[in-house]
Order: sequence, then structure tokens, then C-alpha cells
Amino acid sequence: MRIVWIGGLCTCLVLAGLGLHLGVRTYTPLQVWAALMHGGEDTATIIIRDLRVPRMALATVIGAALGLSGLLMQSVTRNPIAEPGLLGVNAGAAFAVVLLITLAPGASFTAMALAAALGALTAAALVFGLAYSAGGGLSPIQLLLAGVTVAALLIAAMQVLIILNETVLEELLFWLSGSFADRPLTGLWAAIAGLAVGAGLALALSGALDVLQTDDATAESLGVPVVRLRFGLLAVAALLAGLSVALAGPVAFLGLVAPHLARLAGAQRHRELIPLSLLFGVFLGLAADLMARFILYPTEAPVSAVMALVGVPLLVALLRRNRLRLA
Amino acid sequence: MTRTTQVLPPLAVLLIALFAVAIGSSFMPLDRVVAALFGAGSRADGIILWNIRLPRVLLAALAGAALAVAGMLLQRATRNPLAAPSVLGIVDGAAVGVLVFFLLFSNEANALVVSVNWQPLAAAIGALVFATIVGVLAYQDAVSPMRLLLYGVALAALANAIVVLMIIAGPVFRASQALIWLAGSVHTADWREVGILSLAWLVALPVLVLMIRPLDQLRLDDQSAASTGLNVARTRVFALLLSVLMTATAVSVVGGIGFVGLIAPHAARLLYGTNAAPQMLGAACLGAGMVMGADLLVRAAFQPLEVPAGAVTALIGAPYFIYLLIRQSSTHA
Repeated sequence: MRIVWIGGLCTCLVLAGLGLHLGVRTYTPLQVWAALMHGGEDTATIIIRDLRVPRMALATVIGAALGLSGLLMQSVTRNPIAEPGLLGVNAGAAFAVVLLITLAPGASFTAMALAAALGALTAAALVFGLAYSAGGGLSPIQLLLAGVTVAALLIAAMQVLIILNETVLEELLFWLSGSFADRPLTGLWAAIAGLAVGAGLALALSGALDVLQTDDATAESLGVPVVRLRFGLLAVAALLAGLSVALAGPVAFLGLVAPHLARLAGAQRHRELIPLSLLFGVFLGLAADLMARFILYPTEAPVSAVMALVGVPLLVALLRRNRLRLA
Repeated sequence: MTRTTQVLPPLAVLLIALFAVAIGSSFMPLDRVVAALFGAGSRADGIILWNIRLPRVLLAALAGAALAVAGMLLQRATRNPLAAPSVLGIVDGAAVGVLVFFLLFSNEANALVVSVNWQPLAAAIGALVFATIVGVLAYQDAVSPMRLLLYGVALAALANAIVVLMIIAGPVFRASQALIWLAGSVHTADWREVGILSLAWLVALPVLVLMIRPLDQLRLDDQSAASTGLNVARTRVFALLLSVLMTATAVSVVGGIGFVGLIAPHAARLLYGTNAAPQMLGAACLGAGMVMGADLLVRAAFQPLEVPAGAVTALIGAPYFIYLLIRQSSTHA
């Protein structure tokens, strides 16, 4: 486990460093050092200090938030394919933001973040509510289908709003495809605070989460308040996803991949799974941000599309392995 | 089901068709529609009717019917009431095919170097590739119907990402063209597109008639079906292939109009029973009505903006799909 941690942290640091050097323009370490330490107003400094450092920070925070959000969703529903993107939670947040901007153009970032959080909560309540209202609960596959369909519904509604209100929403089109580049950092501190609270809460409850992996009756008999734990942590997961959407737009699959990487690395108990999911979330965020610059070089690609290229093969592999307790 | 409930839907579809011809940026009363139809009306009426409204309505009807029948074939072949072309990744696969076609056959001036009539073929190839991947993955997994859907969802997400990347990488002119088409719309309809779909229907029709008996046999379980002299595996593959081809042709012309292939066969089964012939006719009729109605709705409500008809079918279809999902899980739980 220690090797995983050291290796993971080093990789993240290397990726973050590469992210400062590489891009449409490549800079030498000397230039980067000068830009970070001495400042100035030349092109290199502006690009490195004002463009690359912010997107590195954003990729780190969003990656961690989505990794944790995915892990919490997977753990409390005992569903290995749960994830904010696939389950329509991201779409809920995005729809709420688009709706807000349609109704009140020029809304502040705080208002947008609140709308995103509310939208994420509503979509999560809708999808999981559907799952529990169907007698006996939905199987993981049915939950996923419900999520994908809710997402399709919200995306169609968004399409209509965008077409009806083209001028106001033009700026949103890029945000809607999910990206760490050129995003305002207004809410970054709030996101870091939210992430810290969420991670702390999850860690504090890690023992209960471990017990919950058996089954509801066992967990209940061991004194875990199953229903409260489940809905409380689902709300935390939805809020983390909502915050991420407000900052970087909807990014799918990151929340699916990070917890599975953590499990692959050997983590089993939530005391290890939670920090490792955060770490792998950061790794994926930084790596995807770097790939987004080069996959369509010199054009910038949306992070969400890059993540899908990695995430879909993993999803297929998950479906094929261990027959899960899926159907 | 009483006779009236069976007769009403086709009449409603006919009414939708009439309204769809009459309503547009300018309203045309019925007498002027009829007059223009027979070349007796004013010149302006004639141009509006023959160049804009008729191709649009016909295209919507032909595409809707094709999507609906394709959905029915898919549901019968997989014995899965939740299977639909848009859920199985066929639609997104067709989109990838069309974008690859744009990318490969455009010259520096962004003009196509081959005839645009090849576009349906490109869509069919893309749809077939993705349908084959989904099919192979699910087949190796001993085809649980639910698993088939999951692989479809996964592959659709992959196709979607590829589409986004190709739109960004491609020339800007093509990108805007592709975006309009992807959203699923019939507002650029012309007679060439109507011709493509009519031709596809002419080819498909005799095959569909021949498929009716095997489709009825396929309702039995595999062993009983085989004992009635049916080659079950071959029939299934054939039905799937036909479904993919019909979807791809429709999608290549009208874009991603989703959920028609899911709802229309369902409603047709509720209305006309489970025999293949009446269900197929009913599904075709209802599918045509759905797309014509969706197009009529966006024209009447949002004129002059072009809201894609696909958004309307998704807004209606998605809740219905969730309803089916919950009903299925509560009966099979």
C-alpha cells in the first residue's frame, strides 16, 4: 500500500509538472521556473501563470471530487457501475445551470453553483427514488438504464433551452462539454472546502461503509442506520458532483474509473479506499487534462470525451468480469 | 381492445399529417392545400406545398415508420421489450459513420468529393460496426437481455465521445452541419432525401412481409420455435440485421430522433395485439405519427427557431422508458 501511495503521489506530481510545460507551446523547465518565481508580463509567464496553473488546480480538485463522489455512490448502493455521469446527476446539475442562465442572464457564480447543487440533488433523488420505488429496488443494470434515460431527458430539455436562447447560452456550449481550460477560479476555494468536508465525513463513516458492503439486514443488526447513511452520503456524492459541474462542466466516467483503480491497487476497506479514490481521481484529472491538449493537437478537446475513451473500455471490462451481482 | 380504440390512432395520424401540411410559417387553410396539391392554387401556395411542406411531412412519416418497425424487429429478436435502436448504440454508431464519411471525403474547400447520396451507406456501416461489437460482447456473455442493453449504453457513450472529438477536429463548416443533423431534425427535408427513404422502404417491404411468419414463430421459446421448423438463430440475426439497416438509413437522413423505435412498437402491441402483421402495421403508423407530430409541435410552438424534433421525442419517450423499466422490475423482481 505504501508503494501505491508513493508511486501515485510521484506520478501526480510529474503529471502536474508536465501540465505546466506541455501544450500548444512547450516551455523549458527554466522558463517555467522563471514564470512561477519572478512573474513578469511576457507571453510565457502569462500562459504558465494565468492559464496552466489554474487549470492544473482545477483538474486536481475536480478529479478528487469526482473520484470521491463515484466511490460514495458505488459503496452506498453496492453498485459497481454507479457514477455521477452515467446516473444522470451531472446532467441534472448542468440542466439547472442552463435553466438559471435562461431565466436570469448574468447570474453570479455563487448562484450557478447553488443551482448546480440543487439540480444534482434533484436528479439523484429522482434516479435513486425511482430505484427504490420499484418494488424490491432496481438491479444495478436497471439503475444505470434509469440514470442514462434521465440524462437523455435532461439533455433534450437543455437542447431546447439552448436553441430558444442562443445568444445568452453561446458561452455555455464549451462548458457543457466539460473542460478544465479557461474556467474562472471563483469557486475553487469553496470547492476545496466542500471536498474537505465531504472527505472528512466519508472517512469518519468509513467503518459503517465497510459494514454496509455485506447487506442491509446485517448492517442494520450491527447498528448501522442504513437508510440515513445511504441517503446522507448519496446527498454528499450528489453535492460533490454538482460542485464539479459548476466549475468544469459535466465530466463523465472519472467517478467510475477512480474507485476501481483504487480497488485494483489493493484497497478493500474504506479507510484506504477513500484516500486512494481521491488520489486516483487527481491522477485521472491531471492525465485527462494533459491528453485533452494533445489528442486533437493543436485544438483543445473536451475532458469528458477523453475520459469516455478511457472509461468505456473499463465499463465493458467490468461488465464482463465477475458477472457482478448485476441482473 | 374495442374497435374504436383501434381505429382512432390511424385517424389521428392522418389528421396530424393534414395539420403538418397546413401549419408552418404561414397557415394554409385546407381548401388551399387541396387546390395547391392539384396544381390549381396560387403559385406561392404551390411552391410552399411542393418544395417545403410535402417533403418535410413525407420524410418525417417515412423515417418514423422505419424507426418504429426497426424497433419492433429489435424487441422481437432480443425478446427484450426495452431494446430500442437509440439505447443499443446503433444511432450513435450511425453518427460516427456519417462523420467519418464527411471527414474522409471532403477536400480542402470543405466540399464533398463524392455524391452525398453515399451518406446512408456510411451511416449503415457505422451502425453495423457498433451493433456488431455490442452483439459480440453480449453473445459471449450468454445474452442476458439486460446485459445487451448495458453494452449498448457503454458503446453509445464511446461513439458519442468519438463524435464530439471528430466534430471538434473537423472543419467548422462540417461541424455546424453535423450538429444540426445529430440533434435529429427534418427541417432541411428535400425530395432527394424522401427518395432515399422511399427506395429503402421499397427494398425493405417485401423482406418485412416474408419476415411476418418467422417473427410470429419467434414469440415461442427457442425450443418450441425450432420445432415449428424455424431456424431460430438465423432468423434472429436476420431480424437484427434488418433492424440495424433500417435504423441506419433513417438516421442518416433525419439524424438522431430517439425513442420512436421504443414507444411505437409498444403502443402498437397494446392496441393491436401481439401478432406480427397487425403490430408491424400499427407500429409503422404510430411511428410516422410520432415524428410528424413532434415536427409539427416544434414548428407550431417555436417558429421561427428550429428546435430539433428529436428533442420532443426524447422528452416524451424518456419518461415512458423509465415507466417500462419500473414496471418490468416490479413484475420480475
